[in-house]
Amino acid sequence: MYIIGENIHIISPKVKEALAEKNERFFQELAVSQVEAGAQALDLNLGPRKKDWEEVFPWMVKTVEAVVDVPLCFDSTNLMGIEAGLKQVTKAQPIINSTSAEPERLEKVPLVAKKYNTRLLALTMGQSGIPVKADERVNIALETLIPRMLEIDYPIEDLILDPLVLTVSGCQEYCPELIEAVRTLQFAWDPPPAISVGLSNVSNAVPAENRGLINRVYCAMLMGAGLQMMIANPLDLELKETIRIIEERDASTAVGHLYLKIHDRIAAMEEPHIEDVDMNDPMQSAIWKTTQILLNKVIYADSYLGQEAMA
Amino acid sequence: MPVEIPKDNWPGAVRTITLGATAAEGGSRRQVVTVGGAKSLPFLHFEAIHPYRPVIALEIRDRRPDDWSPLLIKTWQEVVDDPASWAQAGEKLGVDLIQLTLSLTKADGSSNTPANAVNVVKAVLAATGLPLLVFGPGQAEVDNELLVAVAEATKGERLVLGICEDKNYRTIVAAALANGHLVSARTPMDVNLAKQLNILIKDMGMPLDRILMDPTTGALGYGIEYGYSVMERLRLAALQGDTMTQFPMIVTPGFEAWKTKEAKVGEGVPAEWGDWEARAIHWESLTTIALLESGADIVVLRHPESIRRIQAAIQELMTQAEPA
Repeated sequence: MYIIGENIHIISPKVKEALAEKNERFFQELAVSQVEAGAQALDLNLGPRKKDWEEVFPWMVKTVEAVVDVPLCFDSTNLMGIEAGLKQVTKAQPIINSTSAEPERLEKVPLVAKKYNTRLLALTMGQSGIPVKADERVNIALETLIPRMLEIDYPIEDLILDPLVLTVSGCQEYCPELIEAVRTLQFAWDPPPAISVGLSNVSNAVPAENRGLINRVYCAMLMGAGLQMMIANPLDLELKETIRIIEERDASTAVGHLYLKIHDRIAAMEEPHIEDVDMNDPMQSAIWKTTQILLNKVIYADSYLGQEAMA
Repeated sequence: MPVEIPKDNWPGAVRTITLGATAAEGGSRRQVVTVGGAKSLPFLHFEAIHPYRPVIALEIRDRRPDDWSPLLIKTWQEVVDDPASWAQAGEKLGVDLIQLTLSLTKADGSSNTPANAVNVVKAVLAATGLPLLVFGPGQAEVDNELLVAVAEATKGERLVLGICEDKNYRTIVAAALANGHLVSARTPMDVNLAKQLNILIKDMGMPLDRILMDPTTGALGYGIEYGYSVMERLRLAALQGDTMTQFPMIVTPGFEAWKTKEAKVGEGVPAEWGDWEARAIHWESLTTIALLESGADIVVLRHPESIRRIQAAIQELMTQAEPA
């Protein structure tokens, strides 16, 4: 699993404060800790920085590149800011996060990606928003995103499609469709573009104590559909353990066995089955209930783990 | 050529819930009302027997309402000053339930009190044999103060107490639990929140046959399609076996319809809108019909003519076609 570390994100109050203070040490430590934990790229979400982009983007690149060598992923709507950052990059091929199929962005962003030889993350989202159905999201990639790349002679190998994870708390019907979008997009072109998702979006607005579990179970399901790249928290040890279990096919524990079973069912285009689960084990029961809300079989509620399981 | 009608066979069913208690059951109602029990989507009689028809509650207030349409006041006339007579008028009209809302203030403008609330509820119980739903004015502190007193003074009547919302449900649930009443759980048009509130109420120990859910709906032209989808989704989940959505649904189309401009405003609207009163009654009845089709078990109405129309509609919808 290729993890783009998500922790340098302006939504975190600590990041916001450190950025206001231009605290180099804070960002260098956050960069190093993510890379040491296995992040293969670092997302930099600094917000739009409408007033100080000229200064902030290059400063961040310089600060982070002083301590790590991995690709930097510029996560912003401010294209001028991204460009200012790209000019400062001296190490790995960076990533622009992101374009969408909205005409204005699709017109401008790929040209910048091409000019600076970056990878480009493209969201399957058009002018009318994010479609629920997997097929419609795939169509946005096939009919709008990829044709634009071909038009400007942008290498499809550098394209990363993001079919957009939405939260199970409020957008539940999107969750199973996203799994199918990940599955189908792998066959969208030859050579295939990479596919990435923002995993933790699936548990936005979920009480903190359940977020990790929902992220882990969804990760196992998405890996079953073929996902090999995501923006996620590399410091989440339980998430990394789930990824390890699946990658090494380690069925030595009961929970590991269940995660593999869930992965394999999704890979075989089946649904996880209650017979795969020992419902007397509270952890397995919780994992089962989580698969059921993620497949939109059971309506999500914050206390969903407290409800008896349904077959 | 014979046409095979496809039938769904659902594993789940809506819970059967009884409102009110007769003297033999520890209350004072002449009759009880049972709702729920559906094993298929509404009125699909070819799929499953629908053991209980949807029922109508008349909404009344503990005093003359300040903010109701003059059309409603004109129709009900002087009974709006006396909740007991108002309830009797409803019973005469053939409604199944009386839904009494307590006001924030008394007619003289002073704050409502637990003693006054108890007196009004007792007067209404004495005036009619129908089961009663009692809702607070909708401010957490006052709701709790009034409803606890009412709950204790009417122990065993199996009233429905409301309105439980996520920010204020514990006191009302505890009062209902201790005194043998039911509760109504309201959430703002959101399946996740509806289910969550049901779980929270269940977790307080409330038996599942004493919970109604109010998904909130909006009126015709004011978001009813969204409310319809929420109700449909909750009902489908219930039929699929989700125990925390298997509660009968109570909706308030009277409240929703009579706050729309079309029902509320008689002057300064386009002439092609036609007669004000006719339009207002259409608004209330059409809103109600849509909600019945999406699975409502209890509809709370205001205008007598809407009630007559909905009574006729329910009778027709519950009539099973003779096999050809």
